[in-house]
Amino acid sequence: MEDLQQTEGVDLRFFNLSRYRSAELLDRALDAFLGHAGWNICHALNAGPGEFFGPQCPIRHNLTLLETPLARRRLNDLLALCDYNQLHLPIRQILLLIVNAVLGHVSVKGRLMTATDVPAIIRAGTIAQANLYNNIFGGNLSETRRESLLVFEALGRFGIGYETSNRIDNILIFGDADEALRPYFGRYMADDIFYGADASYRAAQREYIEGTDEDDERSTTFLRMLVAQRRGLFFKIPDEEKEEMRLWELTVFRYAGEYLERVVAPLQAGRRVARPILSRLVRGLNRVFTGMLVSDDRELLLATSLAPSQRRVSRLLEERVSAEPRLGERVEIVLRAHDDMPALEVALSRDIRQLLPLHLTRYEFLSRVAEGALPSSFSKECYEDLLAFKSQLLAALAKRRAEAGEEPERGAIAFRLLEVREAGRTTVRDLELREG
Amino acid sequence: MPLSPGVWPGVLPGLPFLASPPGPHPNRDHGIELWLDEQIWGHRLWDTQSPWLVFLEFLNVADACHRQEQLLGHDALYPLRYRPRQRMFLRNILFNSDDVARIAEEQHDSRRAWETWLAHIQDTALGVPHGEFGYLRNRFHSFADFAQTVHLMRGVAVERESNKRWSSRFVFPFGPHALYVDVGISPTTGQPTRQYINFGRSGELLYAMLARAASRDALLPYVREMVAGTNQWDRLVASLQPDGEDDQERESTSCYLPYLRHPVFDGLACDWLAICRLQLPSFDGYPHLVTLGALHLLRYHLWVAATWAGRVTPPSLLCEIVTVKKTLVRELSLQSYGQNDGLSTHAVEQFVERIRGSDAWKNAKESGAFVRHREVLQEAVWWGVDYEGANDPEQLLAELKQAARKGHQQHTAQLHRGYGREIGLVSRRGTTRYRYAPTDQLMKTLLLATVEHRMEYTEFLAHLFAKYGLVIGDGEAERVLPADEFDRKAFQANARRLEQRLASLGLLRRLSDACAYVENPYRREGT
Repeated sequence: MEDLQQTEGVDLRFFNLSRYRSAELLDRALDAFLGHAGWNICHALNAGPGEFFGPQCPIRHNLTLLETPLARRRLNDLLALCDYNQLHLPIRQILLLIVNAVLGHVSVKGRLMTATDVPAIIRAGTIAQANLYNNIFGGNLSETRRESLLVFEALGRFGIGYETSNRIDNILIFGDADEALRPYFGRYMADDIFYGADASYRAAQREYIEGTDEDDERSTTFLRMLVAQRRGLFFKIPDEEKEEMRLWELTVFRYAGEYLERVVAPLQAGRRVARPILSRLVRGLNRVFTGMLVSDDRELLLATSLAPSQRRVSRLLEERVSAEPRLGERVEIVLRAHDDMPALEVALSRDIRQLLPLHLTRYEFLSRVAEGALPSSFSKECYEDLLAFKSQLLAALAKRRAEAGEEPERGAIAFRLLEVREAGRTTVRDLELREG
Repeated sequence: MPLSPGVWPGVLPGLPFLASPPGPHPNRDHGIELWLDEQIWGHRLWDTQSPWLVFLEFLNVADACHRQEQLLGHDALYPLRYRPRQRMFLRNILFNSDDVARIAEEQHDSRRAWETWLAHIQDTALGVPHGEFGYLRNRFHSFADFAQTVHLMRGVAVERESNKRWSSRFVFPFGPHALYVDVGISPTTGQPTRQYINFGRSGELLYAMLARAASRDALLPYVREMVAGTNQWDRLVASLQPDGEDDQERESTSCYLPYLRHPVFDGLACDWLAICRLQLPSFDGYPHLVTLGALHLLRYHLWVAATWAGRVTPPSLLCEIVTVKKTLVRELSLQSYGQNDGLSTHAVEQFVERIRGSDAWKNAKESGAFVRHREVLQEAVWWGVDYEGANDPEQLLAELKQAARKGHQQHTAQLHRGYGREIGLVSRRGTTRYRYAPTDQLMKTLLLATVEHRMEYTEFLAHLFAKYGLVIGDGEAERVLPADEFDRKAFQANARRLEQRLASLGLLRRLSDACAYVENPYRREGT
């Protein structure tokens, strides 16, 4: 339960198989799969067009796509993020993912293509339904089947295909007509003759743009295709254009890219995380702790409320903990020892520290709250977790006060009330009763 | 589960109507016509009293008894007499003075603000022996500080959204200085009089139950802390009140709890003890105590009804974990609720039947005189003076039954639904009728009271059944339902849904396919 492998005095070692990195497992699985001798035999067939493993064969194309470094890197990122969300995928699920990715097809019997299916598919013109990018998320399977398989349920949590931005949808829908967007459309959609803007896509696109309002069914077909195209974009946008196209806005975790590149990577290399990121997290924490839209990010505000009925808004300031190292207080992002998970460490003194593991969901939550989202709208579980962390910090504060020998004064009653001014700056109003 | 003899031997099954034990009959004080519900459940369980007000009433009783140095003492035997406080100065300031904030804003000079406000309150204050509020000037550095304090205190009033009269508004029970009873202000004399509308004596019953529970001694120090503790909030409330005011009420009539011991009393005390032992910061434990208090009163109501109605086992409550689709569990839950709802009325009817089968009634029948029957009823249930019907014993009993049923339906019968809704156990969500559908908040409270550190999930469900009669999973459902109504898959799905809800609250961890643990978050080390 405590995630230790061994303990003193007990002659047992526990190996938790779920603690291996899904991303590492993926790499090894892919290497083994793609390097399998069987594919050489397929290549040696020298098939012609319209045949299995010919130039039009979707299975062969999926294989080629899966070998590209870009696609592998994105897939690896996704599984690494699953790891950082404490969702580990066993090897069986990863193999399932790979097989479905290469062989999946929406309308073929059993939803997986066999060699004999390929000529019929090419003849019927349904190659686009073997979209690798859609298969990765189990888009070829029925909804119940997809929800029952762990790997697709996990990848589905990213919301890829359903999240989007105006820019991306403009490219997909109006790209070929608009001057500025045409180069992007060309690169991502037109160049991809298999799964990009093929005949069926263009037909549905025309229907959607120019069709009559009553025809709901046609537009739903196009909207479904859009889902597959957005998924494709996630794997096609190259690293140079990641920033410009805001790649991670195609997912629910908008800060995921930053999480991997600017938090995990520096920590693993032994460097510190940039200060603006830490400030943002502190601001998010302050908003959750006080329940008010504050903008303080140099200090952590430990505030309580007068009675439990007022839990959401906490106005009574107990203490301010400096984020910069000062008199033993410090707030920093570190790497947790036993599992390499980034964590926020709040130090109240040299010996008193509290750790808050920063999995992806919590990181996203704090970042969004810092940028203006209401705490209860994104994740209730995160919100409750952070309030529990606040209780821990308050308990640690009491411990520090006890150690420092601070006695609560008997005579005076004094309170510090937080008030929020313009631009979110907090001021403290002291309320004190007269003695006697 | 046989009941232990209550305080009044002879009131239980058999009803041989012995002479009352020494001391006055409990109905002497009240003179209630048709003293029937009270013999079964006590005087009284009040359905329109919300769980928080039950708790506040309890604290008032405890505070008064503590002042008499009898906190939870002597099994709280009948009569339970106590002298609570009124605290009219505090209540006028907080709830009968709307212009504090306005004056603070308009008058920046503190002295002028004080003068304006003091003049006004002198005229408008009700229920106080004199209009002298000048003591406040010595307590605060400025009028603005005073206004800020009043604003803070108003913000933590219990049940802020209610639109009750100002003399029925209550401040959060920080400590002894914040406790006072419900009063009504007489329109003619302007004096406060004790009323039993909002404080309906359910809190007094709660006090008596705890005083008779097995773990009373362990609970005593925590209750003492609640009513005698000095924390800074209590001192803040005290600062709004004049020193030395003796505003204790007169002793009034007493409540009545028939049973000396009962498993529900012990269950209640155990749960309260579990919450207190968590040592939650500030007053975070209070909402849980409130919910558990009301839940155990509800259980008491149902269990006693079941016993009097002739059932051997305590009633079970089949819960649906709410889902969008209509499922078998929902149907069964509706059925379970319906059955339990009718239990108390059935108990009342059975009481009348016991009278019919009692020795005293049989003797009266043998004698043949109708007036003897009336005497029996007068002695047993204090009823029959207004009976105008024929001289027929059967008709007399029938009329008694009807009167008893009608009186019962007005209040005591509503307790099941009323308290059930308030604590989040009973709801109509997604259907048109009531059934048992516990909310997340209620499940969290039950978890905190049941799980000390960590417990396996199916074991947790079994504990919920053993303690409260809640049926959620298939194991418990199998024991309670007849074979033809039981469907294992439906209940397994029900349990799975609860699992998901608990996981989303951060209270449950699933380690593998076959193993899930519920955890008490306040005992967890590290996140």
